Amino acid sequence: MPVRVVESSTPAQVSGTDPGNRSQLPPSSLLGAGQAFSGTQNVSNQQKEEAWRVNVQIQGIDLEHGYLCGTMEALNVPMADTPVITFWEGEIVDGKNYTFYTGKWEATREDDMRHWSKFPSFSPLQGQVESDGGRQLDLNNYPYIFMRWKEQYFVNVGTDCGLTIAGFYYVCFSCSDGSISGFYYDPNSSPFQKLELKTVNEGRSGFSFSSYELQ
Amino acid sequence: MPTTTTSAASSSSSTASASGNNSNRQADVFSRLASSDPEVKLKALREVKNQIIGNRTKKLSFLKLGAVPAIASALADADDSEKCNNILVQSAAALGSFACGFEAGVQAVLDAGVFPRLLRLLTNPDEKVVDAGARSLRMIFQSNQAPKYDFLQEKNMEFLFSLLNSENENVSGLGASIIAHACGTSVEQRVLCEAGVLEKLVILLDGSLSQREACLESLATVLKNNPEAVSDFVGLESGRYLNSVTELTKDRYPRTRLLSCLCLVVIYNTSPSYFVNMGTKSGLITTLLELLNDPGQSGDDAALGLSCLIAGKEDLQKLAYEANAIKNIVDILKTDSELQTKRLQGLFLSLAELCSKLEDCRCSFVSLQVLDLLINALRHKDADVKAAACICLRNASRSVKNLSAGRFNSDHVMLPLVQLLHDPSSSVQVAVLGALSNIVLDFSSPKSSFIEFGGIKQLIELSKSMDPNARCSALRALRNLMFLADNKRKELYISDVNAQGFACLISDPEPPVQEQALALLRNLVDGCISSIEFVFDEDGLILDTVGRQLRKGPQAHMAIQGMYVLTNVASGTELHKEAVMQQLFPQATGSENFMLKFLQSDESQLRSATVWTIINLISPSSPGAYDRHVKLRSAGIIPQLKNMVNDACLDVKIRIKTVLGQSMSFGDNY
Repeated sequence: MPVRVVESSTPAQVSGTDPGNRSQLPPSSLLGAGQAFSGTQNVSNQQKEEAWRVNVQIQGIDLEHGYLCGTMEALNVPMADTPVITFWEGEIVDGKNYTFYTGKWEATREDDMRHWSKFPSFSPLQGQVESDGGRQLDLNNYPYIFMRWKEQYFVNVGTDCGLTIAGFYYVCFSCSDGSISGFYYDPNSSPFQKLELKTVNEGRSGFSFSSYELQ
Repeated sequence: MPTTTTSAASSSSSTASASGNNSNRQADVFSRLASSDPEVKLKALREVKNQIIGNRTKKLSFLKLGAVPAIASALADADDSEKCNNILVQSAAALGSFACGFEAGVQAVLDAGVFPRLLRLLTNPDEKVVDAGARSLRMIFQSNQAPKYDFLQEKNMEFLFSLLNSENENVSGLGASIIAHACGTSVEQRVLCEAGVLEKLVILLDGSLSQREACLESLATVLKNNPEAVSDFVGLESGRYLNSVTELTKDRYPRTRLLSCLCLVVIYNTSPSYFVNMGTKSGLITTLLELLNDPGQSGDDAALGLSCLIAGKEDLQKLAYEANAIKNIVDILKTDSELQTKRLQGLFLSLAELCSKLEDCRCSFVSLQVLDLLINALRHKDADVKAAACICLRNASRSVKNLSAGRFNSDHVMLPLVQLLHDPSSSVQVAVLGALSNIVLDFSSPKSSFIEFGGIKQLIELSKSMDPNARCSALRALRNLMFLADNKRKELYISDVNAQGFACLISDPEPPVQEQALALLRNLVDGCISSIEFVFDEDGLILDTVGRQLRKGPQAHMAIQGMYVLTNVASGTELHKEAVMQQLFPQATGSENFMLKFLQSDESQLRSATVWTIINLISPSSPGAYDRHVKLRSAGIIPQLKNMVNDACLDVKIRIKTVLGQSMSFGDNY
């Protein structure tokens, strides 16, 4: 019988009377469906300094397959009249479904190492990743989660909006405080555009959690 | 079996009342069936038999006129002398024909009390009589109405083996049919295996077509869900017969291919370790997919067989997907609008299983425009088809990506689903609630077709159903509908449900219903801080009920939701935090605080949820945090957390570190 879970991972059969098996707890309760983050993306280039305000929301997470997804909303985008929302899908580097090596999206191993090494939390892992791809690492017990986020489509604007979603983000999530940093990689865009986000508490004095259950 | 076809044996839909001539002839046949002249009787028997063969309408018509008792009398009156042999043969054949694929006919034959007489024909010295008796009985044993066969009685087992040992293929086939349709329990399976039935059955694999098919059916019944029986079978001559069955999946006869596939499905589902060879699994899937195109019963059974095979098995679903299963099934659904109910059900269930775990399947499913096929099926007259279509929709909508893209949030999809909430069939209701639970999770837009069609009111009604499954499912759908909902949407629910009514849901006798009610409440009090006020309606009845339920020592899954309700309320104002403290430390009780129990739970999610409540209660930005911290410390909760600094779960460990950090800021050491 399929596994029944509280968050949005592998869904289950209808039986309300049989709890069955539940999936493992996410590495961080702050990286769960419904969690919102807010911050900026630095889109500076040689001509000028610029930063867009960004809101991110996680919509689903499936640890068994190393998958998560959500939306990203970019505000004060010069070319757009309204905030631009995209839908993205993520790969969690868990050593089982995905490794630190991207293997696609025009990112070479060198590109990968160049980006991951920009996260201070990656340094303890760097040696092993360089030597054997990080096969021996116990990432499930590391207080940072590494991911790649790839935007898939625009939700509220057309593809002719003058913006590109050709690249992807290397992302590091801190389990302890839910902060996120990332670097956008696109061979045709300015390099190392930095994404910095923090959890959002919507005016509350503490953390609040919503949940859904897929059948 | 001797048959003659006449022009009367047509498939026209004429009934007994269609013409005067017809009814005269039929009435005449009845008087001739009762004739004392054997030649007249014989001719009448042949006439009836020839008319009803393959003609359901004629069967019904003769049935209503009482043909079966008349023929049964003819059979009973004939003695076992040679001159009555033809009467025995023809009456047995006619009765067999009535029973063939016609449940009312089976019922009539059994009601006529002629079953024991048919059994006695098997010991008749004339081979033709034995044949006719055996064929007739086989027809009866194809039906669910066939008499129970008590395998546990020694004489019955002896009789069964005498059939299996017979050289007459119809008789040995009958033995196999009896097993196929009457063996139901693991005790019966064991008794049959211990008596050596497997060794007898496998001989039939090398027999005639009819024997082979009967053998395959009965093997599947004896082996189903019985690892010991499977082990015995595979052990026979070192796997020779497993190989034989596997080879038969390539047989030229579709029915043989199907039955051997179904046998392998049973073996795989019972003991998958015998199928280490990927090729066998792929071959099995490919054969079943091909059989889906068979126009007859084999195609119907193949569809259900495929769904049974891949149910719950991601690896097989992947193999099926790679073998183009989805496109094959969709093509059948699109090109043939007159599919039988059973086949439709099987096809939709197969699609449902394909989509159950694989995102690629769900996405290709959506891109092949299958939604329209499903929406049409929701309007089918048969409950099984509607339920299968709903299950298919439910599984397809497990895709957060597709939900996010708003693929299901259209009037076209939503309206028939909402209408099915009123379906008289409970299996349809449960299935549609499952589909709606997912589909209402629409991330794409605040506008919800479901709400516009009055869905909330219907779910509120269903949450009060007598059926706990319906209550649970309705609350789950409401919970999902209220995920990240704005105040306007929450108000649509809250305005129709008072605090008393909601408190009843939280205190429902069924724990899964309690759990969903609390999960719904958790979502209602998330979001805008003002939405927390709901728990304070009617003097805080809801919050009191939550506290009371948590103090009762509930199951972990319910407790997790309850603690997240408290976490969310505790993320509000000072008043909210104090209200939570009152639930944690009510004045009246002196018993151990339930939070201590939860912190020691084996469920890491419960430990985590409890720690989050504490984090919010002593969040340094709030004025009363210090006093609350003092109280939590004296209740032993902070000391308990100090013992948990090396919790096995990383998330719990991290949250405890947060609490202890806050604790240090209040001057506590750790």
